[in-house]
Amino acid sequence: MIESWIDLARGPLFRISLGILVLGLAYRFGVVLVQVVAAWRRAGDRRLPTGAVAAATLGWLLPKRLLRARPLYSVASFSFHVGIILVPLFLVGHVALLRGYLPRDWPRLDPLLADVLTLVCVVALGSLLIGRTMSPTARALSKTQDVAIVAMLLLLVLSGFFASHPMLSPLGARTMLLVHMLVGNLALVLTPMTKIVHCVLYPLTQLVFELGWHFPAETGEHVAVALNKEGEPV
Amino acid sequence: MAIECSYYTEPVDTTDLPRRFLEAFAAILAHSNYAPVLDAACRISTRCGRCASTCPVYQASDDPRDIPCKRTELLLQVYRRYFTPGGALKARLGKAFELDERHINTMAEEFYRCTACRRCKLECPMGIDHGLITHLGRWILGEVAIVPKALRVATREQLDGKTRNTSAIPAAALIDTCEFLEEDCADTLGLKIKFPIDQENQEYVFFPAVSDYLLEPDTLTGNAAVMTATGGSWTIGTHYFDGINYGLFYSDRMLHRIVRMEAEEVRRLKAEKVLIGECGHASRSAKAFIRTFCGGDKAPPVVNCMEYALDMVRQGKLRLKKGAIDARVTYHDPCNVARSGWIIEQPREILRHICTEYVDMTPKGKENYCCGGGGGTVSIDEIREFRTGIGGKTKADQLRRTDATIVVAPCANCKKQLREVCEDHGLEHAQVVGLHDLILKAIEPPDSMRVEQQSEQEDEARAGEMEKER
Repeated sequence: MIESWIDLARGPLFRISLGILVLGLAYRFGVVLVQVVAAWRRAGDRRLPTGAVAAATLGWLLPKRLLRARPLYSVASFSFHVGIILVPLFLVGHVALLRGYLPRDWPRLDPLLADVLTLVCVVALGSLLIGRTMSPTARALSKTQDVAIVAMLLLLVLSGFFASHPMLSPLGARTMLLVHMLVGNLALVLTPMTKIVHCVLYPLTQLVFELGWHFPAETGEHVAVALNKEGEPV
Repeated sequence: MAIECSYYTEPVDTTDLPRRFLEAFAAILAHSNYAPVLDAACRISTRCGRCASTCPVYQASDDPRDIPCKRTELLLQVYRRYFTPGGALKARLGKAFELDERHINTMAEEFYRCTACRRCKLECPMGIDHGLITHLGRWILGEVAIVPKALRVATREQLDGKTRNTSAIPAAALIDTCEFLEEDCADTLGLKIKFPIDQENQEYVFFPAVSDYLLEPDTLTGNAAVMTATGGSWTIGTHYFDGINYGLFYSDRMLHRIVRMEAEEVRRLKAEKVLIGECGHASRSAKAFIRTFCGGDKAPPVVNCMEYALDMVRQGKLRLKKGAIDARVTYHDPCNVARSGWIIEQPREILRHICTEYVDMTPKGKENYCCGGGGGTVSIDEIREFRTGIGGKTKADQLRRTDATIVVAPCANCKKQLREVCEDHGLEHAQVVGLHDLILKAIEPPDSMRVEQQSEQEDEARAGEMEKER
């Protein structure tokens, strides 16, 4: 019974989820790209501080920049991101699952390194979850989605670890594998629809906010016309 | 329900207010670049709280409503509900947020607790610019007449009034003031300076914060001394002479109209460039938006007076006495010129030369802390307790650590705020001045600028003429 569920999860469900992920991310990225070009074309001043925008975009990829504020949170966040990017893409089992979609010489993680990254990711996600629920500032800011996504990813990573280490698993390895696959598929589907979409939008976000300050030359006049306020005193 | 804020507004018509707010929001989205900004903020905000850790207002108030991300969410809630398909769908399912007067009142209060210093942007890994979203929120509120009275009244005088400036100074009074400053400088400092009025075909037209004509004579005299000493080609226009632009704080429509008046005055006087005095927001609004609203590459270039002064020092045209200011001096970076990295080192280079003891605050430059009066809040006298007690607390702590007796703040707004911060935080020993106030004390004037020299030359010329007559 469980085997047929596993087959379903890694077969049709996975392909559908992967399709939603790829198409969804392409759509989101495409929409923002079109918006960026349109905003730039409308701008009264089209000169952009491209160096500063690029420096800000690249700077945040390095831990040095992150560690300047909220160091504990930043360490957890950085560690989690390293694991959540490398393990899904380069773990031997995942590469096998993606056979046909990836080039033949796609690199693979050493299993021991993958385990270390996974465990670091578990600790990081656990810390983030505690931070989200315990810190008054984080509680004031957080929505259900913020806690639910961290919890989902924690379940995903933990179930993956136990599935590949049956001796340590509190449940059967096949059950853990099924949980891992179902949660993984859910994560793929949710990626374009939730804040995880920043994984593809990140390269454009600094530019979007910079462009926000580049107003169209006639913005004031057009708004005045739209609101019937032409010639109206201040 | 009436709109009740901690600042005064002119009477607000609350009839159908949510509908009118949404109409204004829709009109602005249709004719601006804000929609992609809000879309991006909705999708990528991870609400990580880094902005909270760097906001001086939240650090001092510990009030969650001051967390930049949380304040941004107030507007995003409205945007999601009324301007996205997801919001429309939720509304059909009957689970949606509905905009009401209470929410508008909350925005009205909280958008003016922010000093628009944009320090939080530096700490957001996604680059979310909460200052930009607050700026937009204030504009929408402004279109339904929810604006601090102080800002609106001043802007009304500037755009629709007889004097066309925020301090309501008639042109005749401006001319009198300039003549008085010239005479005063000659009498007290022995320096002959000029404030050229309405001269055509000069390189620069000068726009200080107009309040400087009333409140900062030393800064203005310093500006004129630098221009006179360096043989600068400049003038002050009597048709329009105010650098202040409160549009930057509450309405892009007003921002647009004000910078166009600056560009028109430059055109009228057949000048080439805009020279802005010591004022952060005046400098930023001119530098960033004259190009935007006045013809892109054809718009007159904008130069800040501190850039000009340093350029002249480097060219050897402006000579300043080394160590002329014998005091412990620190420098406050106005957010509007420092956050982008535009003006950071220029004034410091001058100060290190003319002061015997210069100390920097930490952090400084791009990462400086706001004085607490940014975003136009300095003009709102009724919120002084919040402005200096909460908004200015971090800056007061910074100032105290420097132990400086002179604080240089090259901005009319920062100066007013810092003087009040010093008063309210027991820092009365610190004197808040402009950079040009100190330049005036340190200047080594060319002989042509000395009154005695001038008088001697005039006497010699007169004697020569008399001899000829004989």
